[in-house]
This record gives sequence, C-alpha cells and structure tokens, in this order.
Amino acid sequence: MFPFKSRQPQMLDSMYSMIALVFILVACVELCDAATVVDVYRLIQYDISGVPFGSRLATLNHHAGSLHFTPGADLSRTVVIIPIRELNITFVKEYITQRKPLGGLLFLLPQIFDFEDRGATVSEDQVHEKGLMKTVLAELEKLLIHANIPYPVYFAFENDDIDTVLSDIKRNDATGQPATATTGGYKFVVSAPEPKRIASPTITNIQGWLPGLKADGDPNQLPTIAIVVSYDTFGTAPALSVGTDSNGSGVVALLEIARLFSLLYSNPKTRGRYNLLFGLTSGGPYNYNGTQKWLRSFDQRLRESIDYAICLNSIGSWDNELWIHVSKPPENAYIKQIFEGFSNVAKELGLEIGLKHKKINISNPRVAWEHEQFSRLRITAATLSELSVAPDILESTGGLSDNRYFVNETAIVRSIKLVAESIARHIYSHQGENIKVFADDSSLAVNPSYVKSWLDLLSQTPRVAPFLSKNDPFVMALKKELEDHAHEVNVQHEALDGMFTFYDSTKAKLNIYQVASVTFDLLLLLVLGSYLIVLFSFLVITTRGLDDLISLFRRPTSRKVKTA
Amino acid sequence: MTLFHFFNCAILTFGPHAVYYSATPLSEYDTLGTSVKAASVYLGTALVKLVCLATFLKVSENDSFDPYQELLKALIGFIDVAGLYFALTQLTHRNISQNHKFQAVGLGWAFADSVLHKLAPLWVGARGLEFTWDYILQGLEANANLVLSISLAALGSLMWLRKNKPKTLIPIIYACAAIVATMPSITNYLRRGLGWHFPKVVGFELFTSLVMAFISWQLFSACQRPSS
Repeated sequence: MFPFKSRQPQMLDSMYSMIALVFILVACVELCDAATVVDVYRLIQYDISGVPFGSRLATLNHHAGSLHFTPGADLSRTVVIIPIRELNITFVKEYITQRKPLGGLLFLLPQIFDFEDRGATVSEDQVHEKGLMKTVLAELEKLLIHANIPYPVYFAFENDDIDTVLSDIKRNDATGQPATATTGGYKFVVSAPEPKRIASPTITNIQGWLPGLKADGDPNQLPTIAIVVSYDTFGTAPALSVGTDSNGSGVVALLEIARLFSLLYSNPKTRGRYNLLFGLTSGGPYNYNGTQKWLRSFDQRLRESIDYAICLNSIGSWDNELWIHVSKPPENAYIKQIFEGFSNVAKELGLEIGLKHKKINISNPRVAWEHEQFSRLRITAATLSELSVAPDILESTGGLSDNRYFVNETAIVRSIKLVAESIARHIYSHQGENIKVFADDSSLAVNPSYVKSWLDLLSQTPRVAPFLSKNDPFVMALKKELEDHAHEVNVQHEALDGMFTFYDSTKAKLNIYQVASVTFDLLLLLVLGSYLIVLFSFLVITTRGLDDLISLFRRPTSRKVKTA
Repeated sequence: MTLFHFFNCAILTFGPHAVYYSATPLSEYDTLGTSVKAASVYLGTALVKLVCLATFLKVSENDSFDPYQELLKALIGFIDVAGLYFALTQLTHRNISQNHKFQAVGLGWAFADSVLHKLAPLWVGARGLEFTWDYILQGLEANANLVLSISLAALGSLMWLRKNKPKTLIPIIYACAAIVATMPSITNYLRRGLGWHFPKVVGFELFTSLVMAFISWQLFSACQRPSS
C-alpha cells in the first residue's frame, strides 16, 4: 500500500532529525518586534567597603503597573512605572526602607532633562516647573543612592509612546484588575547582562604647566600658583550624570583661565614671575581621591614652591554671592591676603564674596572640599564655590537635576573674571590698584562663546570615573585642549581607592509588549474547536447525509456486530 | 503563552483543510494523491508567477494604487487559472468521479496556497510576546481562500471537463470564473486604493467566497441535471 516502505529506516532517521530541528526552533521563542522600545538607564550599583548600595539587578521581565494599584495588592511581580511629575515620595520611601518586595521600578523623567535631545526648545514656565522638580529629584536621589535595592530600578525619558502605554496601564489599574498572566496588559522586558564588577577602575589626572619668567642668574625656584578642578561626576544614573554645574562649570572655567594666561605668558614681556599649574583631577566624589594621589606624586621642591592653590567647585548657577572656603583660620596672613585680593576684584565686578572656615579633622577620612587635600599637606589652598555649606558624601556631585538649563553662562564668565583678575593682580603685584588685566573688549577678554561651547559639550558627556576608560575620548579631548594652552601636559593614571567598588550595565533597552491573557488564548481555542467541529458536521451532513454522521459515533458497536 | 497563540492560529489556518478532507467522501475514495499533485502544480505556478512579476513589474516607492501595475498583476494572476487548467485536465488521476476530482484539486491548491503564504509569517510573528489580531484575521482569510479555490476548481471543471452544458449558462460560468480569478486584484485594490483596514477586507473576502461558492454550487447542480 505504501510505496516507500522499503525506504523506511532512512525515512525514520530524517524524521528524527526533523523533529530535533523543530524542537530547537521551538525553544528559541523570539522576543523581538515589540510594540515599543525605549532607552532606559539603570540606577547605579556600588559597594562601599563591601556594603552594597543601589540597585542590585539588571534583568527585568514583569508586568507593568502604575501608582493607582489597589492598596494591599501584591507587587512582587510588577514593575511600577512612576512619572516624576506625580512622584509620591512617601510610597517610594515606604517600599525601599521597609524592604517590601517589588518587581522593579521605572521612573519617567520629563523630556527637558534629556541631554541627547538636541531639538528641544525650552519655555520659561518649563524651566520654572523643572526648578520645583529639582528638590523632589534631589530627595529621591538621596534616598536611592543610600539604599540597598534588590530589584532593578531604571530611569527613562517621557515620550509619546511611553505616555500612551502609561495612560493605558492607569486605565486598566483603575478598573481594579492588576496586570498578571491571566488578565493581559503590558509586559516590560529588559534583557541586560548580569552586572559585573568593574575590575580596577582608573582615575586619570591631567596637569598643565605654564612656566613663569625666570630672571637670568636667579637660582631660586619661582613660586607657583595652582588652579585645580575635579572633572568627574557621580549620580543616581551614571549614564545620565553629566554634572553641568558640579563640576562642569569648574572645568570650563579652568580651561578659559588657562587660555587667558597662556595668551599673557606667550609674550616674554608680559610673562609673570609665577609658574602656573593647572590640574584636572578625577575621583572628586570619592573624597577627592585623585587629588590626593596627584599631590603625593609631587616632588618636595614643587610642593614647597606652591604659593597657594585655588579649587573651583560649582560656579555655574549663582546670582550674586560666592563663597571662599578655607581650612586655615581666617586670621592667617596668607588667607587674609588671598581673601582681600578676591574681595577687591569682587567689589569691582559687583558681586559679594564671603569667607567660610571649616577645620579639618585628620582622623576623619571624609574630605568635603578639594582644598582640604592641599591643606593636609600644609599647602595654602581655598575653594571658590556657590555652595555655602560643605556637601555630604556623594551629594552635589552631578545628579539627575544637574542639567544645562539650570546653569548660567554669565555666572561662569563672572567667576572666570574674578579668579583670573585676582590671580593676575597677585602675580603682577597690582594689589589694590585699579587696573584691569582681563578687561572686556580687549584681546584678553573672557570669551563667552568658548565658555558656551565647552559647557554644551560637558552637559552632554556623562563622566562617572569608573566608567571612563584609560583612553576615554573625552579625557583625551581635555588633555589636548590643555596642551593648546599649557607648556607641558602630563597625564597620570591611578587606581581608584579600594573602598569603592562599581558594577557595570548602566544602559539598556526596554521592550514593552502588549500581551493577551491566558484566558483569551483558552477562549480562542474553545471557539476554534467548536468552529471546526461545526464545519465537520456540516460537511458530513451535506455530502454524506445525516445517517453517516450518526454512524460515526456508533462505529465501535457496529464493528463488534460485524466481527461477531 | 505565545506558542499557544501560534497553535491556535495554525489550527484556524490549516484545520479546515484537514476537516474538509476527512468530512467529505474524499477520504473514502483516497484522493490524497490528487491533492498532492495539485499542490505541486500550485508550487510550479507560483514560481512562474514570481519570475514574471520580477521581470515585468517595477517597484513603486509609495504604497498607492497604480492601475497599470494592478492590471499587470491581474494578467499575471491568470497564470493561476492556467495552472488550475493543467491540474484539472492534464494530470492523470485515478478513476475518480468529476465531482470529487474538482474538490480534491481545489483542496490541494488551497492548502499549498495557505502553506506558502501564511506559514512563514505565522511562525515568525505569532510566537512573539506581542499580541496582534493580524494572525487570526489571516487564518480567516485562509478559510475564505479555501472556499474560493474550491469554487474556482468547480467552475474550471465545468468549463473544461464537462462537454454538454446548457447554452444559457455558459456565459454565466465564464463570468463567475473571471470574478473568482481576479479576486486577489480586487482585494488589493480595496486595501490600497480605497484604504480599507484588514478586518474589513477579510470580512469582504469571507462574504464573497460564500456567495461565489453558492453560485458555483447552483451552476454545478444545474449542469448536472441534463446528464442524470
């Protein structure tokens, strides 16, 4: 009857391989072609001396829910999506501090915070609204950074797709039915690799040296003035930590000051009798680790020749008042001289400047200001900042709300004028004289477009130190820029202090699927089954007659009759 | 549960063919060979159509309805009819009555059509997590296609295999055959030219397939009366 019976063994073999192939194909269910794909940025994951902080997981595969869930519902397999506009900080605090189980958290930031969105135009009321959000964000960030969260926490920017998804989810939640496998809804999937420890993160310090005019026959070392800025950031979402104010403003100021002094020093007639040392240090948020290592690498002669050092920290969003922070007592002669010099220039520029003294405690490892690292080695130093109080650890280091829109170029330009003019008067001994070295409309005027272009670049570059490789393009760009201005540039690579450990996986793609519930599939199966049965009966009746249909069900008994 | 959805859509798309074969006397007379031969003729026809389309059709940038291109596509669609003619008349079948011959050929034709056009999208798309109604609509479309293929095969067998037909019915037969043969072009026009959505188009296809099936059944029984 079957003509291929003789070829049966080969048929079986090919059949088995076919079946195996089918199983392999079935096993890989494709998770592509989602309805929506969104870029998401993960909360930072780090350890301090082995104590874990931040979000400890990266993979996500749960149903989505909003804040309108029924109280008391089990959220351990739900990703709660929270737009920052409607943030209920008590809810987040409750879940995090009480360690309640949650599938995941997704925070939606307003579009304005997206530094990659170049086409966004900003309106005045938008900026005001974001100002209100700054405090909310700051509180949220503080909570998230210092908590140990065992589920993934992601940040995303609002856009049309995700807004429609969110309104859908809210509508579903309002009916009282949380989304689970049996009721359909949306499923959030992030397939990210397991976060791995970053082995030996490096911090890179860049220094630029501008030598002063040495008189012939003078064997003594010229005195040095140092201007130091830390350029790296630390924030809740490392892929979003651009730190425009803390400390992008400082970096821009340093580059502009370097440019101005290199112009002055290019002509031997105007070269001062002071060396200038420019330092771009890393490891700022971690108790100014980089600065400490950089200073340790100095030889004794250089260290002794430093007259004083000025550190710049957050000088981008102030109105009329700046602060000089010192660790030596204000009665100290050097401090008095520096402060008077700055005050005179400040008075001319029409801004106020205050002096704040904070004693250092050698036994306390916490270093709140960069100048404290200098002071610990007995070098006179001060920090110029708009902040009046020393920030706590990992505070004011470039968080989510530290954005281009909150930074004012004119503030930076005024700070540059203040610092450059004060240093110039000290170098050329024009203290108290009414001479402007860097006057506007002169060839040595501060260049606002230079400031603006570097500030724009900095506000689009996340700079968390452990995620910057040794030859990171941005670090190389800084080095190259400094080489344009300084005479000699050195790059120093160091390992970050062992107290901090970081984990990678900072950016991922979120796939949002609209899934049908299991009940729907079962229902569909039922409907299709009945349709096929009806079709079958219809065809049997029309082609063979009703008797045949009935005889189908009586076949076993009729067969028994036949055999008997 | 995405494999479940794939299974559901698969039984919607391919189930009716199996049910048709087992429910009607086709299974009793073992006409599987005919269906398989018809399926292979369909494959050959599809290949020829593909080559013709690739040679004569130019790819349009936008998705609009170009009458000239559609006319060309309709002409190439008549290769389908030629293939069906070949399957009905030229292939040697075992001794089965004309009644069952056109059903077997139509069934094989429709099954090959479904497999070729619907299996790949189903396998790739229905297994994903994302849920759409498209694959269920595609299954319904396959059902309509089955009915249309069988009606076309019936009309074809009337045209080419039956020698004594009532004179009045001949133009009606040819007209109906022309309508059924140009069905793909009509649906294309509805989708692109008039901008109908997929569910509406599928509804239209189901309706017309039932209507055409009824008409061809009446024609077939009308032609059968003189000889019986």
